[in-house]
Amino acid sequence: MNLVQTAIDAINLGAIYALAALGVGLIFSVMNLINFAHGELITAAAFTVYALDGQPVGIRLGAAVVAAVCLALVMERVAFRPLRKANPATLLVTSFAVSYLVQHLVVLIFGARPIGVSLLPELSESAALGELRLPLLEIATIAVTLALLAAMTFFFRRRPLGIQMRAAAEDFTMARLVGIKANRVIAAAFAMSGILAAVLAFYQVAQSGTISYRMGVDLVLVAFVSAVVGGMGSLTGAALGGMLVGMTSVALQTFLPPTWRPYRDAFLFGLFIAFLIGRPQGLVFRKAHRVRI
Amino acid sequence: MSVLLSVDDLHVSYGGIAALKGVSISIDDGELVAIVGPNGAGKSTLLRTIAGLNVPRQGSLLLRGKPIIGLAPERLVADGISLVPEGRHIFGSLTVEENIRLGATTRTGRLAVKTDIERMLSLFPILKARFRQRAGQLSGGEQQMLAIARALMAAPRLLLLDEPSLGLAPLIVDALYETFTELRTGGLTVLVVEQSIRRALRAADRAYVLHTGRIVLSGRSEELRQVDNFDQAYFGAVT
Repeated sequence: MNLVQTAIDAINLGAIYALAALGVGLIFSVMNLINFAHGELITAAAFTVYALDGQPVGIRLGAAVVAAVCLALVMERVAFRPLRKANPATLLVTSFAVSYLVQHLVVLIFGARPIGVSLLPELSESAALGELRLPLLEIATIAVTLALLAAMTFFFRRRPLGIQMRAAAEDFTMARLVGIKANRVIAAAFAMSGILAAVLAFYQVAQSGTISYRMGVDLVLVAFVSAVVGGMGSLTGAALGGMLVGMTSVALQTFLPPTWRPYRDAFLFGLFIAFLIGRPQGLVFRKAHRVRI
Repeated sequence: MSVLLSVDDLHVSYGGIAALKGVSISIDDGELVAIVGPNGAGKSTLLRTIAGLNVPRQGSLLLRGKPIIGLAPERLVADGISLVPEGRHIFGSLTVEENIRLGATTRTGRLAVKTDIERMLSLFPILKARFRQRAGQLSGGEQQMLAIARALMAAPRLLLLDEPSLGLAPLIVDALYETFTELRTGGLTVLVVEQSIRRALRAADRAYVLHTGRIVLSGRSEELRQVDNFDQAYFGAVT
């Protein structure tokens, strides 16, 4: 029974990391940009939820999605579009700059101290199923993640814009040569990364009950590691990588001797360093990303 | 015959190195024109510049008299210019069908697109058999056919082909060139870059010889075939 509970924990964290890795992987696949400012999309959504405290839950969540999507689109338009022809290192540094800028805007408006927020307190309960106690939040997270993954799969397989995005992810220059609008595809990727970030923010807020201006930072690091483990440039890889990193983390937490547990992350990242030495292309190999034009 | 594309005194450089040094060519509606020349002559650069991937330092590019320099590649596809780049660049993780449909991205008429897909599949029957397969699984020749079909799906006025015969068996190359001739009778204008001079001169109405960024010789194919110093021009002895 304990094992089942651990498995649910593992899938839950795997789902969270998968969403985070997808947000980072999506932008990388169309732009060769590792967007470290993705974390601030999470922060923006979380602070929107906080700012609308007292409003109906639907409005708070909806507004948070809108805020994250808008911030993502503004980042793209103002910071990244003018640099689209720049080399990846320049883009990377720019994403750090955007990240710090947004963080300190949040400090300016809301202060630097962590703030307590209550979102959907009903979800902190557990449903009893025989001897099993199923935390509702975890169940909801897994369900929402699965629904999002299904919707994204449908979008990328069936919708014209989704197919255009897959083409652009594989060969951006050629995509333009068949008439795919570069701006449209990239803006769509940023908008989607905003949606993914908002869902993550809901989980973070509901689970921890606090928000702070640095709340996105750790998650984006794990997202980056997950995307690399999955295979940079492949969306399936990003989802699998996130799942793998999350589940491994929970497994280590459960099965490491208690005195070693404080060093769980050292073991976690050590494992993935070893993995990447053996398989540097990641889980899912995607033909090398050409330099974009 | 009206002029479809005119290129005048085109200068293009890559990171300070001049690739094209004042190239002028002109193509009439319905012509099949070849650009030949050795490696590094600037043939691909010329095609890529026409397709909007390079911005020239100097010179002019007119499509039906309208300047097109500075327009994005995706915009030029809508204006009727389709490039099949060297190395084909099909979307390997997408299906053959998705590749073909993506060719029609800039078009709106659903019915016309559907008719054109049927046309492509009868033009290249092998693609019909592979319709639902991943394009990456196709052989080199099949990929070249797919790349051409994808370009044709945009219903271009001007088709730019960069080394379509590279790495293909002679029999397949024959079949490809037969297709180009066929498409021409349908009113398509084709500008093809070739390393194989003989092949190019057999199929094309006219040819330009490009060498180190300059046009060194040009004329009708049957005239060029008789030029004594053709090989010299090709290999660079004539200036």
